[in-house]
Amino acid sequence: MNERRLLSPLAAAGALVLAAYGVLAQAADPAAAPAAEQVADDTTPYSPLALQNRPVHTDPFAYDAGVARLGLGYTSRDNYMFGEYNGLDERGPTVIGDLQWQDFRDSENYWQLSLSDLGLPTRQGKLTWGRPEHLRLTMGFDSRQQVRNDSGQTPFNGNVSQHLPGNWVSGQTTGDFAVLNDSLHDFDRVLNRDKVFMGIDARLNDNWRLQSNLSYEHKKGHGDTGAAIYINAASAESVLLRSPIDYGTTEFDLGLAYNGERLHLNGQLAYSDFNNDNELLTWQNPYSSFGPDVAYPNGTGGLGLAPDNEQTSGRLTGQYIFSATTRLQFDGSYALATQDQSFSRYTVNQALLVTVPVPQQDFNGEVATSTGNIKLLFTPVAKLSAEVFYKLRDRDYDIERNGYLYVRGDGGNQPGTAQTVYNTDHDFTSQTAGFDVGYRLPLHSRLGFEYAYEEVKRRNAAVEKTEEDRYTLKYRIQPWPNVSSSLRLQYADRAADTYDWAQDYYALLDTELINATPDGQRYTNHPLLMKYYMANRERWEGTADLNYLPAERWNLNLNLLSREDDYDQSSLGLTESRWQRAQFTVSYAVSNSLSGSVYTGYDKYEGDQSGRAFRGGQEKNAFAVYSPLPQASDPRQDWDIDTTDDSITFGANVRWQLSPDYELTLDYSFVDTQARQAISTQPGASVTASDLPNVNTRLHHFQASGIWHVQDNLSLQLDYQYYTYDSDDWAWENVRANTIADVLTFGQTNPNEDIHYVGASVIYSWQ
Amino acid sequence: MAGNRLKTFIILCGWLLAGSGAWAQDEPACLDCHEAAADSPVHAVFNTVHASLQGGGAAACTACHGVSAKHDRRGKKSPPDVSFGPRWPSAVEARNASCQNCHNSGEQLHWAGSSHQQEHMACSDCHKAHQPHALALDQVESQQLCLTCHTRVRAELHLPSRHPIVEGKTACTDCHNPHGGLGDRDLRQVTLNDNCFSCHQDKRGPFLWEHPPAAEDCSLCHRPHGSVNERLLTARGPALCQQCHSAAFHPSVPYGNEGLSSASTSANVLGKNCLNCHSQVHGSNHPSGARLTR
Repeated sequence: MNERRLLSPLAAAGALVLAAYGVLAQAADPAAAPAAEQVADDTTPYSPLALQNRPVHTDPFAYDAGVARLGLGYTSRDNYMFGEYNGLDERGPTVIGDLQWQDFRDSENYWQLSLSDLGLPTRQGKLTWGRPEHLRLTMGFDSRQQVRNDSGQTPFNGNVSQHLPGNWVSGQTTGDFAVLNDSLHDFDRVLNRDKVFMGIDARLNDNWRLQSNLSYEHKKGHGDTGAAIYINAASAESVLLRSPIDYGTTEFDLGLAYNGERLHLNGQLAYSDFNNDNELLTWQNPYSSFGPDVAYPNGTGGLGLAPDNEQTSGRLTGQYIFSATTRLQFDGSYALATQDQSFSRYTVNQALLVTVPVPQQDFNGEVATSTGNIKLLFTPVAKLSAEVFYKLRDRDYDIERNGYLYVRGDGGNQPGTAQTVYNTDHDFTSQTAGFDVGYRLPLHSRLGFEYAYEEVKRRNAAVEKTEEDRYTLKYRIQPWPNVSSSLRLQYADRAADTYDWAQDYYALLDTELINATPDGQRYTNHPLLMKYYMANRERWEGTADLNYLPAERWNLNLNLLSREDDYDQSSLGLTESRWQRAQFTVSYAVSNSLSGSVYTGYDKYEGDQSGRAFRGGQEKNAFAVYSPLPQASDPRQDWDIDTTDDSITFGANVRWQLSPDYELTLDYSFVDTQARQAISTQPGASVTASDLPNVNTRLHHFQASGIWHVQDNLSLQLDYQYYTYDSDDWAWENVRANTIADVLTFGQTNPNEDIHYVGASVIYSWQ
Repeated sequence: MAGNRLKTFIILCGWLLAGSGAWAQDEPACLDCHEAAADSPVHAVFNTVHASLQGGGAAACTACHGVSAKHDRRGKKSPPDVSFGPRWPSAVEARNASCQNCHNSGEQLHWAGSSHQQEHMACSDCHKAHQPHALALDQVESQQLCLTCHTRVRAELHLPSRHPIVEGKTACTDCHNPHGGLGDRDLRQVTLNDNCFSCHQDKRGPFLWEHPPAAEDCSLCHRPHGSVNERLLTARGPALCQQCHSAAFHPSVPYGNEGLSSASTSANVLGKNCLNCHSQVHGSNHPSGARLTR
């Protein structure tokens, strides 16, 4: 049923496209059509046909020295999907303001100025001054805005320290919060980024060049976060909070490049400093389930926010040209990321008893990342090209290992020493070596083969080493001047060392607790589960691309992709995943003044995963020791989820210069997505679960823009957009603030937007 | 006597002619024919960064098109040494070599062997040297050039969760170097995670309590171009988390439609599901954050 739902519109769209092509192709000048039978001869070089007849945006002001645009726009409704990134999220008028100007007439100096979206929170600008071929100085700014679903409400007041209203009535569940509805108030989830930057690019002489950049970015606004107060998972009582964001990032780099006849080098030093003005987000506990020190009004929770950090790095990129047929390319780097932000206490709640202090004052650790890429390219004979390559990535996470006797969820006093947990470093090293050969054959065809071997080593992970062999066959052919096709087939086989399912158990917990735990329970994850990214995997992937120019000015493009991953040794966790994709595009340039394209696509991700329910009845303290859980070894407790995410896209655009004075651009996008989760359990087992509802989203976005060139240097532009989007995500559908007994949510609604935008502007241009 | 004077005169004239010919070779005559006109974009190049090549003027033409002596002599009957089309397009290698006379380092350092080079793409396929307003360098417009061939990505850019690529606030070239690189997918930064951290420094850590897959590879949970699921996730929660987590008690239990019922709403299904409590999925620096809840 679902397949039909998705495939039918796709087929209809494809049929429409083909029908349109059929009608219009008949109208095309047959004399102009290239002879499809004409076999490409080897003197005609292979050319990427996708580039031909493409409806490239023809900027009517591309040849002007300066263009200034000023006008007004109007958005019909407040929104957060249409205006998520474009600054048009609020109902009402906005100023349209853009300026492009450059002057290269002076042979000694040149200037470039670019300003856009001046009336919006997404404004940006750049000013460049330079001396031709010698020096370029740049400075500018770039503002961004992201808005998220703002339909939610919260009873909390404050920013970094959030508290409830004075008349708050507490309770053990959200349903008991008697004054909740009266306490709720709107809030925005908006993040603004303002960046200023400057740079210099100086040519020191024929061989040396210096480049440097400095930037500062300030991010301010609010996100959202979940926050729970608990002693164990069974007792967790959570709230959704708006999360303050007040970040500053300074970045600097200095590069020196050497450009010789054979040797090219580019060295760069970079520094990045991230500063978060907020260290901790605290909130007042609205629940009354725990004792008086934890319950409302005294109870407080605290979340650690992103720590200040800095990264210093060096990178050397280059190549050495041995001869016209042989060259060596390399790219290596070393980066050190550190942070020494002071640790907070185990709990912000001063009333809770903490006898053992945090073992160290701050993190005082570092992550060193080294990379190296080397590639030797050579052409031993005229038609044969070859590459040999080696890649290294090493992440060395260096931190002192300590025991943390942490307070569970700000929900009680510090526990006994048996429940100490230990932090663990996780080093990662990946090395890949391989070769790639390609041989040119008749009919502009090229046959290629690539082999790569990758070894990944992880420290303190369930799998210490994985090895993967990847074989890729590539074939490309252009048998006729108007047809080209490429195929790519890959097979990859990843083998993992013995899966040590108890590794994270032993790494995390204290000997005292481990010794007190029966052998059969010494794990956190179920022993049959394998984390898919380090499990055995067999992968098949194929892509096929076809470009066909059936007549002059026509371009048909078909792209297909299929991937299948089989985690053949995994019983629980992700066991299989598949990805299929088809894209079809037709472009037609009727004339130099009229062109258009239509595209449609279908995309499907599927995942099969399994689990085994072994909660053993009532939720228990994960740190307590119980008699063996029989469910853990009972396959009747198994369950499966088949997840499918698919999307259909359809779009069309037309660019039409009706006359020298009038231009029209139309653009339409349609996106229909569906996420499905089908759940199955074993017959007769105590564990039951049924399919979740499908989650659907649907988008229509139509844009029209017309330009009237009133005079040589004066134009009027009218813009119109219609945007409609809706979704029915069950995670938020009919979920009010107090719908979930132990999670106080925002009660936000799913987006359902119908937006109209109109804009009118005057454009002045000059040569 | 008069004959000698005549011979001398003829020789002098010959020298002068030869000299003027030599002089003329130093002064390309491109602009004698290619006059500025409203319908000809040739002269627009003089308001671009290429205006001053080799001292500017007509020398800027020959800097890219070659000396083109035949074209100089025979005009439309013979192409310039290097032509970028549309009438006499030179071989891709010749066109690219002309650009690479200058652009052979920095961004273009690893052009040789790059995927675009192997596809026989010409620099001029994306860059129009005569246009003052360069589309390929325009953050909003440049994506159209990329999507012409990378149609698979086009669909993702319109999905419900996405980066601001359509709006031009993030350009394809912010993450990928179209001229090639030695890393995966021609990414600009040395690793995929570093690419993400160049905007999301708050996720960089290092953290006291790491979430190992997040530190290893952001794409294990996120699809950078767009996703059906919110926050660019590869799958919806709680199923996404359960791909790797099946600990005793609540992580091991299947969560289905029952959790949506008004009689038994589940905190593990609704709202932010697992993240209602485990909100610090990128890592926690709180000493009580071992379970990524702090």
